[in-house]
Amino acid sequence: MAVTVLLWSCGHGGSPSNLTETVTAYAADRFTLEEMNGYTKLTVRDPWQNAHGTELYWYLLPHGAAVPEGVEEEQVIRIPVRRIICMSTTHLAMLRALDATDLLVGVSGPVLVYDSLILDAVSRGKIMDVGYEGNLNNELIVTLKPDVLIAYGVAEPAAGNTGRLPALGVKVLYNADYLEEHPLARCEWIRVFGLLTGREARADSLFREVSEAYLGLAEKVRNGNPVRPDVLLGSPWEDVWYVSPANSYTGRLIEDAGGLYLFSDLSEAHSVPFSVEAVFERATGAEIWLNPGTAESLADIGAADHRMTRLPVYTSGRVWNNRNRMTPGGGNDYWEGAVVRPDLLLMDFVSIIHPELLPEHRHYYYKRLQ
Amino acid sequence: MKGRSPRLTLTMAGLILLVALLFVADLLIGSTRMDAAEVLRSLFGNGTPGGEIIVTQFRLPKAITALIAGAAMSVSGLLMQTLFRNPLAGPDVLGVSSGAGLGVALTVLTLTPVFTLSAGSAMQGWGIILAAWAGAGAVMIIIMAVSARMRDIMTVLIIGLLLASAISAVVSLMQYFSNEAMLRTYVIWTMGNLGNISYPQIRALALSTAAGLIIAFLMVKPLNAMLLGETFSRTVGVRMKRTRAILLASASILAGSVTAFCGPLAFIGVAVPHIGRLIFGTTDHRTLMPGVALCGSAVLLLSDIISTMPGGGHIIPVNTVTSLTGIPVVLWIILGRNGIGRRF
Repeated sequence: MAVTVLLWSCGHGGSPSNLTETVTAYAADRFTLEEMNGYTKLTVRDPWQNAHGTELYWYLLPHGAAVPEGVEEEQVIRIPVRRIICMSTTHLAMLRALDATDLLVGVSGPVLVYDSLILDAVSRGKIMDVGYEGNLNNELIVTLKPDVLIAYGVAEPAAGNTGRLPALGVKVLYNADYLEEHPLARCEWIRVFGLLTGREARADSLFREVSEAYLGLAEKVRNGNPVRPDVLLGSPWEDVWYVSPANSYTGRLIEDAGGLYLFSDLSEAHSVPFSVEAVFERATGAEIWLNPGTAESLADIGAADHRMTRLPVYTSGRVWNNRNRMTPGGGNDYWEGAVVRPDLLLMDFVSIIHPELLPEHRHYYYKRLQ
Repeated sequence: MKGRSPRLTLTMAGLILLVALLFVADLLIGSTRMDAAEVLRSLFGNGTPGGEIIVTQFRLPKAITALIAGAAMSVSGLLMQTLFRNPLAGPDVLGVSSGAGLGVALTVLTLTPVFTLSAGSAMQGWGIILAAWAGAGAVMIIIMAVSARMRDIMTVLIIGLLLASAISAVVSLMQYFSNEAMLRTYVIWTMGNLGNISYPQIRALALSTAAGLIIAFLMVKPLNAMLLGETFSRTVGVRMKRTRAILLASASILAGSVTAFCGPLAFIGVAVPHIGRLIFGTTDHRTLMPGVALCGSAVLLLSDIISTMPGGGHIIPVNTVTSLTGIPVVLWIILGRNGIGRRF
């Protein structure tokens, strides 16, 4: 709720002067940027799941500037950075939005990358595959001499391979964008990338434009006082259905697009395992079904779990997946580009849930199952 | 039960009643709340549309699967324990479950989810099942080939264990190189699943386990002879290699089929034969075979009821329930009777 209010004020009447305030994260819960004397202090909070109260600090200094007193050299990143390794596709999207992909020297698991320019650079050997979580090619990472490696944390870094990298002289910046609950909060991480790459103003204006578009559309939906149809989300795995809580990324988008998430009463930090029977019982009232796993057709859903064919929403065919923009290898722009275009993503949601509000919109990330 | 003591008949009848009660309870109790009258109306086609689907598409197939799988795994374990004269033997010692796991791992972990799910929908419901079946079958053939060459049954056991370890290592390696979604699919498969099985699949499961059970029931006499040692069996005319091959085939068909449809239901095959022996106080397979089958059904039905955590809407993997509730029971029985060693 606090996020909404904050965003509201930023989207409506928020002036550019906000940007120069000391604490300058509007929506994002997991980072703050503090303008200090000649440098910026970046604080990353709880960058992995169950990291209760962990704070990591980075001091972003221009090249050549003296390290401030009391700051360790290991905590300093010189900006603008010239060589970056990114572990997540969302990071790639942020660099892409800032036209900074030429700084990329390494990516993790390029098979899941969507961006054709980056894929092309990988195939030409300009960008190296550094391996993936649990199977990192540490030697390669060190020889690539990155100024910063942007990682995402699933668990404490000591448990994973990235935990060893700082000892090898690699600066590992944890990006907690995927843990942000609000789509705009995820997008706001682009400001960290802006600062790192010397494209601060561009990142700020991009974020501002996207925020205004998102909040404007959400307001239009709210003002229309629409009837909110029940929306089912996800798919079962055998007997289990991992249900996303209401305050999740997608739960938020459904709410802002004028839908009613079936589990709007579920407030947990993580998804909760429900029995398929229990979800089915609730889902009999659903009018729209989003993100049914990797299913590409209605028949796929039935084949994975025949019981789902009995759902009225299945019979009505109002089922959409987020796999409209995919590479043959499995790269999905929903997990990449959409992070910097939550406004476009919300348009997809609105046109699915309330097509009358955006009659001209053609789905970008979403696709109706046949 | 002709010619047997009244106590035995009574125990058997009691068990049949227990299984019937648990079957009904499994239909009445689910993870959503539904009153008994509504369940019964739904069962006979007079319920609300939503209720009917939950009873006929969720609870009934799950209860039938528990009934069949429990009996099959337990009898498979009984055959293994007698064949190897080893109280720790179970359906998984020969690597049949591991073989099924390898089949599943090959489909789930090496083919990307994109590929698997767009590769023609008719295949999908059966894809994992057929892969598991093929994996279990391959291991069974290897074991039978080894068994035909070896005189000593212990060699077969050791080779089975080695094979199982090797397969597990290969699966670990594949897990290591796969992504999170594939891993999750595989890990959930290993936790056991009774629910997501359609009626045509239940029919296939029933037919294959029936075949395995019929073979097992026909083998009660040689099994009884085997308890007295291979030398004795030979003197009373049991043709060891042939008997062994038939028993291995039966046990593998039972365990392989159940694993293919429900995932590895590990604990039940090792523990339930002991429960059966202790309840009936005999090692006579004429009694044990039906007794152990009934105990197995009862245990799995009960585990399924507990795993749905009645009324709460959540679910825990059935395998964890079987182990966590089964182990104290077995311990209690064993400690109460001063061990099970004397029975072998």
